[in-house]
Amino acid sequence: MIITSDKTGRRVMNLYMGTGLALTALMMLAGLMLRVSQAGWMPMSPGQFYALLTLHGAGLIVALMMCGMGGLWFLMRRETSLSASTAVVAYSLVVAGVAGVLISTLFGGFAGLYTFLAPLPFHGSWPNWSTGVFLISMALITLGWMAWCLQMLGAVLRAYGGLRGALAWDFVWHRQAFDASGRTAPPPQAFPALMAGFDGMLAGMSAMLLGVALIVRWMDAGVLINPLWAKNLTYFFAHTYANLIIYMLVALIYVGMPYATGRKYHTSAVLAVGWWCSMVLTLTNYFHHLYMDFVQPGPFQYLGELSSYLSALPVTAVTIFGALMLVWRSGMKWTLGAIFMYTGLIGWVVGGIGAEIDATVPFNVHLHNTLWVPAHFHTYLVGGCLLFAIGWVFLCVESRSQRRTGALMRWLISLLTFGGMSVFLMGFYCAGAYGVPRRYSIEPPPGPDLAKVASIGAIIMMIGFFVALLEGVRLRFGYSNAAACGEKIQGAGA
Amino acid sequence: MSVAVKLLITFLVFAGVAIAIFIVIAVSTKLPPRDQHEVQRRGYAIRGWWFMGLCLFVIAAFAASIPFYPYMSATAALAPARKVPVIAEQYAFIMPSHLPVNTPIIFEVTSRDVNHDFGIYNPQGHLMAQVQAMPDYTNYLRVVFQEPGQYSARCLEYCGIGHAIMAKTFTVGGK
Ligand SMILES: [Cu+2]
Repeated sequence: MIITSDKTGRRVMNLYMGTGLALTALMMLAGLMLRVSQAGWMPMSPGQFYALLTLHGAGLIVALMMCGMGGLWFLMRRETSLSASTAVVAYSLVVAGVAGVLISTLFGGFAGLYTFLAPLPFHGSWPNWSTGVFLISMALITLGWMAWCLQMLGAVLRAYGGLRGALAWDFVWHRQAFDASGRTAPPPQAFPALMAGFDGMLAGMSAMLLGVALIVRWMDAGVLINPLWAKNLTYFFAHTYANLIIYMLVALIYVGMPYATGRKYHTSAVLAVGWWCSMVLTLTNYFHHLYMDFVQPGPFQYLGELSSYLSALPVTAVTIFGALMLVWRSGMKWTLGAIFMYTGLIGWVVGGIGAEIDATVPFNVHLHNTLWVPAHFHTYLVGGCLLFAIGWVFLCVESRSQRRTGALMRWLISLLTFGGMSVFLMGFYCAGAYGVPRRYSIEPPPGPDLAKVASIGAIIMMIGFFVALLEGVRLRFGYSNAAACGEKIQGAGA
Repeated sequence: MSVAVKLLITFLVFAGVAIAIFIVIAVSTKLPPRDQHEVQRRGYAIRGWWFMGLCLFVIAAFAASIPFYPYMSATAALAPARKVPVIAEQYAFIMPSHLPVNTPIIFEVTSRDVNHDFGIYNPQGHLMAQVQAMPDYTNYLRVVFQEPGQYSARCLEYCGIGHAIMAKTFTVGGK
């Protein structure tokens, strides 16, 4: 199932995921420096701290997004026709943007943050050119993203007969006629592909609308931008991007977990309807970022909470439940790939619980813009998305390697990685509950003490990831005759 | 019990239950494997109940949370209250340094430059209320300080490299 004879497809995936994971590693080191600085061990100046925070946030969002783009593209290339050159063009735009972000933050000291909430980029202590470079770089990343989305959307719509077919509309409502016509529903991973393409285009267009407005404002200081309009657009695209990262990487679960458990996973009506809901709710959830904007029209605040709550339904009742049913009494072998993927599901759920608490308006009063916010999104980005991506890489490597990872090594990697991660994340959650603000270069108590605990946890977690990397390399050098093995499993599976 | 402890306990209970379920399912792979159809048949039944239960739970939670929304109703806005303007700017709050106890206060919060957030910490250091401070807009935050003492306002929206030092202490009651 996992191994493919499509060398080009694999190369494109390796390009995206390799870059994404390497960038993730670098940005995690940057994040560690931020936490260590907050702990008071290696203090940075506020200017350095916030430039590094800007880089860390923008870098990680893009890094994990690239993992999702590469993984999902590879999976969909097996189902539809996707041109490698378009994917490489999209990749180049994103990488050019990342280079610009590095220049503007590290050399230009741009510290308007990865959300660049207007009008802050124009009221900073950094040089004007770095604002321009940053905004243009973000626009390049968005253009690359939109090229990917367009390609994916086009491929999915062509392959499954337009929007109606890609949504599996007739499969859900007119099942008998659908079956009688000899058609089959799109595979499970086609739904995240459709969602990423469709919602991703909407998010990309809003990001470009805002981005162009800000670039014009950068060129002409006389231009006026309504701050509430800018805030709505900012959170709309940023929230959608962050959510799409998860939903894209979930496609790897749909293929990886059946492979690991030796069971089958098919599209059902419930799965299709679940994805319809996710496609809509992801677009209306972002209102929860504006709860503390009392001038925001009231109905949006209620909609924000209700829609945030409802989005737990398709996620837990369809994807998580489906994955758990695959694992239940399957006799699955707990290879590192399986361990990372399964633990990623836990991180997704636990981060989701933190998110739902924060999405409750009366609680948000106490948690809004405290460290609770990075607590929950680090849980599902590091403890969810990153683990899905790493798990996928391990499943691929394990499927071709003749070497196996011993039980002791699996326990060691799990304990270091997940133990360290729990300590690291609890530092955020505890500080958030006690009202320590996020994005403070110097935190009020109990922030610094918790930052010390969190830093130690983060170091242990990163040692765990490093040991996993070494083990991955060891497995990689144990490949049998790759092509022959690939043909064999390809023939047997797909 | 402080709000912080309640929030942490709520989180840990939900997260603990979720993790326990995952561990049980992980351990089940050590038992003799079952046929997938058999697992699915029973799993779908459980899923139906789970879906219904979660649906009811989130709708109930949504309804229960509504009375505690911080947005000012039209009647509350008309009730007598002390109006206190708060102007945020990089990196300070311009506001009175003394306020009355047990008196309804409506903070009229705005900003002179970028987005800030007016977060009020009570004498125990807990974040008790907050509202965004935006340029071009005024947000109205209604607060009744029930205990005298030293409070502080902190900025809770990143506003530039002086963000962490943007704070103002004020006293309530006394005199
Ligand atoms: Cu601030």
